[in-house]
Amino acid sequence: MIELVNVKKVFNAGNPSEFSALNSVNLLIEENQVTVLKGPSGSGKTTLLSIIGCMSRPSAGRVKLQGREITSLPERFLTDIRRKTFGFIFQQPNLIKGISVLDNVMLPAYPLGEKRVHLKNKAMKGLAALNIANKAASKVEWLSGGEAQRTSIVRALINDPYIIIADEPTAHLDTKLSYRFMEIIETFKAEGKTVIITSHDPLVYESSMVDRVVNLRDGQIEV
Amino acid sequence: MILHPTVIANLLAAYISSFMVLYALFYGVQIVRYWDIENGHELQLVLERKTYLIATLLGYVFGLQLLSLFLYIFTADSLTPLFVGAMCAAGTLNVDAFGYPTLVLKIVNFIVAGLWLVLNYADNQGYDYPLIKKKYLLLAFIAPFIVLETLLESAYFLSMKADVITSCCGSLFSSERTTGLGSEMAALPALSMLRIFYGVMFCTLASGIFFYIKSVGGYFYAALSLLMFLVSLVSIVSFISLYIYELPTHHCPFCIIMEEYHYLGYLLYLILFGAVVSGIGVGVLTPFRQVESLKLMLNGFIRKLALASLILYAAFTALVTYEIVTSSLVIAYEVVY
Repeated sequence: MIELVNVKKVFNAGNPSEFSALNSVNLLIEENQVTVLKGPSGSGKTTLLSIIGCMSRPSAGRVKLQGREITSLPERFLTDIRRKTFGFIFQQPNLIKGISVLDNVMLPAYPLGEKRVHLKNKAMKGLAALNIANKAASKVEWLSGGEAQRTSIVRALINDPYIIIADEPTAHLDTKLSYRFMEIIETFKAEGKTVIITSHDPLVYESSMVDRVVNLRDGQIEV
Repeated sequence: MILHPTVIANLLAAYISSFMVLYALFYGVQIVRYWDIENGHELQLVLERKTYLIATLLGYVFGLQLLSLFLYIFTADSLTPLFVGAMCAAGTLNVDAFGYPTLVLKIVNFIVAGLWLVLNYADNQGYDYPLIKKKYLLLAFIAPFIVLETLLESAYFLSMKADVITSCCGSLFSSERTTGLGSEMAALPALSMLRIFYGVMFCTLASGIFFYIKSVGGYFYAALSLLMFLVSLVSIVSFISLYIYELPTHHCPFCIIMEEYHYLGYLLYLILFGAVVSGIGVGVLTPFRQVESLKLMLNGFIRKLALASLILYAAFTALVTYEIVTSSLVIAYEVVY
């Protein structure tokens, strides 16, 4: 369970360009559910997602992960939580060019020091589950958009996180690939993972597998 | 003032340290007053971010502070040829009224800065900043000493005059003189001091080993470490120097840092200061062993500190013993003046 208490995020505080991206957001996200943060551009979806995923800190307020307050944690503890708890799927696949699909997938697990042979097996298993095992040795620049997206999903899962965070995952996918993405999300849910997606794509927030849609506007949750 | 590269380096180090410590103290005071980990207010989150900056900054500043003691001694030693009468750092430190007070403060600040680093390391191991208020209270205690040291050091270097005739170490640390701490230490009976040194060292090592094995008696070991440090400093003047110089009347604690004695003094002092900081560190951290977020690591860290301190004191003793055994000097009886 993730709990946000009075979360505020102000950019450029004290400057003429000060911008308040989130204003007193209170939110409870249940485990093993698919939650969609929906709202227009600039509504604060990505900011909220980055705070939930410990990628940025709020200006005020607290975030609790399974009852444990995490916003005050020193950076090295936060890194550990980020690495083991969250799997990130971004709008763009953000794969590293020049290295293979397999290496891209294994990269986030290197700091944990797992044996390479185990890691490789796990990565190959993940690639096989999304039907791209035959591309393991290929360089990422040779992949199609869908393959690149699936590679980034396998990468997000390499440390077996129990929360999947996806930021506008279908923004660069066509309808067919978007449906395929939602099917993958359904398997995550079936495995007991918690999924949080930001999207203003109806194909995502109107999907039957979505348990809850949270509307955001001007940095606040619409009731 | 004498414009010498080492003088400039000393003053720069002192001003940087003081400025950074005062900057850190500004936020440190806010942390002591307003820190509330349960609270999600903006100020609390700002302080949480600031403490990273301050702790990192102070880590470097206090690291510099540790080095500055040796830099100061080195400077005093390297300025020796400029003053009539000075034969080593002892004479240079005596050219005005601020040299020795600065040295004393540097020694005190070395120890407290070292202890702050120990406390900071332990605090960084906890997920909930368990020692944060203590850490900044200690900073508030240290800051005036650091600033005072800078003022005294500035006064020392700025009021240096090349035409001053100073005293040599043979005079300052002479057992024939009747006044002055150096002379009083030099006048202590060497053989008795030798026995006290080995006796206290035996107790310190025994208590440290007992603590390392049983994790009991941390405060006692810390107190003995401090006592051993003081006894060692007195011993250097009283008898260790005699064996190193192989002269029954030369008690100077500074000549041993010179090339003629293979810079042995630097090694002795480095080992001694490392030993006292890690030894007292055991006592400083002992009350926090039951803090929830530190339970898993603190005992291990305290034991490592105790081990480091034990090894350093043992190394100091071994080095001193080696010098005594290989020295041509034999002290068979006490000379009473």
